[in-house]
Amino acid sequence: MKITTERFKQTSLEELDNIHTQKFLQILPLRLSARRNEAYESFPDPVAAHDYGHSIRDEAIQRLPELLETFEANAVANGAQVFWAEDSQAANDYIVQLARQKGVDYVTKGKSMVTEELGLNEALARAGIDAWETDLGEFITQLLHRPPFHIVGPALNIPVQQICDIFIEKGVIDSPTVDPVALGMAARQFLRDRFRDLQMGITGVNLAVAETGTVINVENEGNIRLNKSSPRILVCVMSLEKVVPTLKDAMHMLRVLCRSATGQSASAYMSLDSGPKRPDEIDGPEEMHIVILDNGRSAMYQDPQTREALRCIRCGACLNSCPVYGKVGGYPYGWAYSGPMGQVLTPALQGLRDTGDLIRACTLCHRCKNICPAGIDHPSLLLYYRAKDVAGDKTLGGSGGRWGERLVHTLFSIAGSDHRLWRIFSSIARLAANHQREGDRIRSIPIGARGWFSSRNLPALPHKRFRDRWMDLEKSKRK
Amino acid sequence: MPENARNAILQRLQRTERRSAVPRPDLPPLRELALDADQLKNQFMAQFQLQGGISYPVANDQALYDRLSDIFRTENITRAMATEDAVITSLQLDQWGARSGVEIVHPSGYQDRQSYTQAVFDQVQAGITGATFAVAESGTIVTGHDRTQGRLVSLAPLVHVVVVPVAHIIATYEIAMEALFADGRRPSQVTFITGPSMTADIQGTMFKGMHGPQKIFALVLDSTP
Repeated sequence: MKITTERFKQTSLEELDNIHTQKFLQILPLRLSARRNEAYESFPDPVAAHDYGHSIRDEAIQRLPELLETFEANAVANGAQVFWAEDSQAANDYIVQLARQKGVDYVTKGKSMVTEELGLNEALARAGIDAWETDLGEFITQLLHRPPFHIVGPALNIPVQQICDIFIEKGVIDSPTVDPVALGMAARQFLRDRFRDLQMGITGVNLAVAETGTVINVENEGNIRLNKSSPRILVCVMSLEKVVPTLKDAMHMLRVLCRSATGQSASAYMSLDSGPKRPDEIDGPEEMHIVILDNGRSAMYQDPQTREALRCIRCGACLNSCPVYGKVGGYPYGWAYSGPMGQVLTPALQGLRDTGDLIRACTLCHRCKNICPAGIDHPSLLLYYRAKDVAGDKTLGGSGGRWGERLVHTLFSIAGSDHRLWRIFSSIARLAANHQREGDRIRSIPIGARGWFSSRNLPALPHKRFRDRWMDLEKSKRK
Repeated sequence: MPENARNAILQRLQRTERRSAVPRPDLPPLRELALDADQLKNQFMAQFQLQGGISYPVANDQALYDRLSDIFRTENITRAMATEDAVITSLQLDQWGARSGVEIVHPSGYQDRQSYTQAVFDQVQAGITGATFAVAESGTIVTGHDRTQGRLVSLAPLVHVVVVPVAHIIATYEIAMEALFADGRRPSQVTFITGPSMTADIQGTMFKGMHGPQKIFALVLDSTP
């Protein structure tokens, strides 16, 4: 998919003026957050359950290479075929080649952010193979060529009339309707025809269990189960951090994932696959391929700070709690991952080059950190990215900051290094700033600080500095 | 080439310095572990209803047949596919079907996979399965799939009826996992079903039956004669 992170500000401004986006954002994130909190109350000790999830993800990340090797050995013993992909190209090539080799002319897909990351649909289309998204929201966004708006509800913001129009255009319905249920049932029938004669299904992976070589998917619609049950060939694409040590750990993560994502104690369907169907079973895949995707993650793993972002389990709870996402929605984030989740993953995977506004679109309120069932400290990571960006970090491709900003900081550090210089500097700065005052406020300073003043004013600086007032006070005491 | 990619990725992960994982904190056991059999049954049924399922206690096989007749009459079901797991084969559904005007078919009755798939998608209105386990903590049906438990039977038709012997009701997921994966066994697929298929992807409007069943009935069987 096309990456548009560099347009963060521009898309945000467009979305702030979009009444459909704003209507959705006023309701759903708040409702999902409330449901999440309510669902956590079903744990005997919600805080302990939350912390326990953190410790599972911590162990998974610290022991990642060993767990991946164990997972691979067990998955192969179960009869699955494991392919390690360095990058999107390698993963896409493997899947396209497999589809060609098997002579399939279309595939169906379960909702999966990692295949959005790969741009798999586009790669299949280039090879002349149709890829049908089968999650209702993803199906709609695919027909409209839109990115997902929210990880749980990719098309929640799309007006129903627009869905009706595109369904008519693509032959999903014959006569217009704006009834969401009728539209959904029409999509069911349309996609059912694809599922029935399906040769190859593709899904993502929510969790991979090292001790048993099992992949787990979580969903509410049943499309992933159909993807795993109907075709003869199944491809499961997992980013390499999805592994957890044991089945017992996986059960706990399922509990916190479902509660965090949709406020359910359990999603309608959770399916655990350990290899292809056995020869005497009537349905299920005869071949199961597991693609383990790196795509920059092992590089991200080298840095203990960025490594922390690999804990993410893609529940979306951080989106629902974020005041910035709550205003601008999912489109400005410009890639497969939106909200705070995207702000910590995208710069680490894509580099800092086009993510200057993305990493700064945060008030550091810490709500995402507090709600995260995997224990990610998003605010600290964003500060880290900002520092790396300004320092021009070569690994992450930091910009090094603008020359004007660098000059100001250099002058500032020189001025701050000696108390006499500081006194001269602060006197000049005071005079210059107050020169711009309007009444008791400074509303703008023409050079270098326009961005700062775009959303706030500065009180006019008092005539006397703190140091002068302090000295006056000391003098008056002595008298 | 793939072997190279594997080794390169693993080496990059291995060569970096890593700290020890933080110790696991204390986790109080789930409340369901303290429940007795009756409480577990009540909890399972309450949770199952809460998640959008419909559950009925049935005292014996006859009560189960009567309830099935009611459900199938109300839902206008004349043809259903039943799995061949131990729970279902202990019943006499074929005979009940013959008495009640409902044709019961089974996956093994089809010559090949394709005709079975056609049938389960298009020629039956309901699927009937036995629960390997029913989990009280969230009202979840757990099924270990094998030659007797076709995957599509509980998924493709619009109505799913699951028979839950009361002895199969357990407190937590972990108990089911320990049993299903005991002694190195690896079922090809284990499914957790909690309520009907649903979505709210269009304007947040919730509706049931998106891809899987619109209705799911649990018949909780107290005893077998």
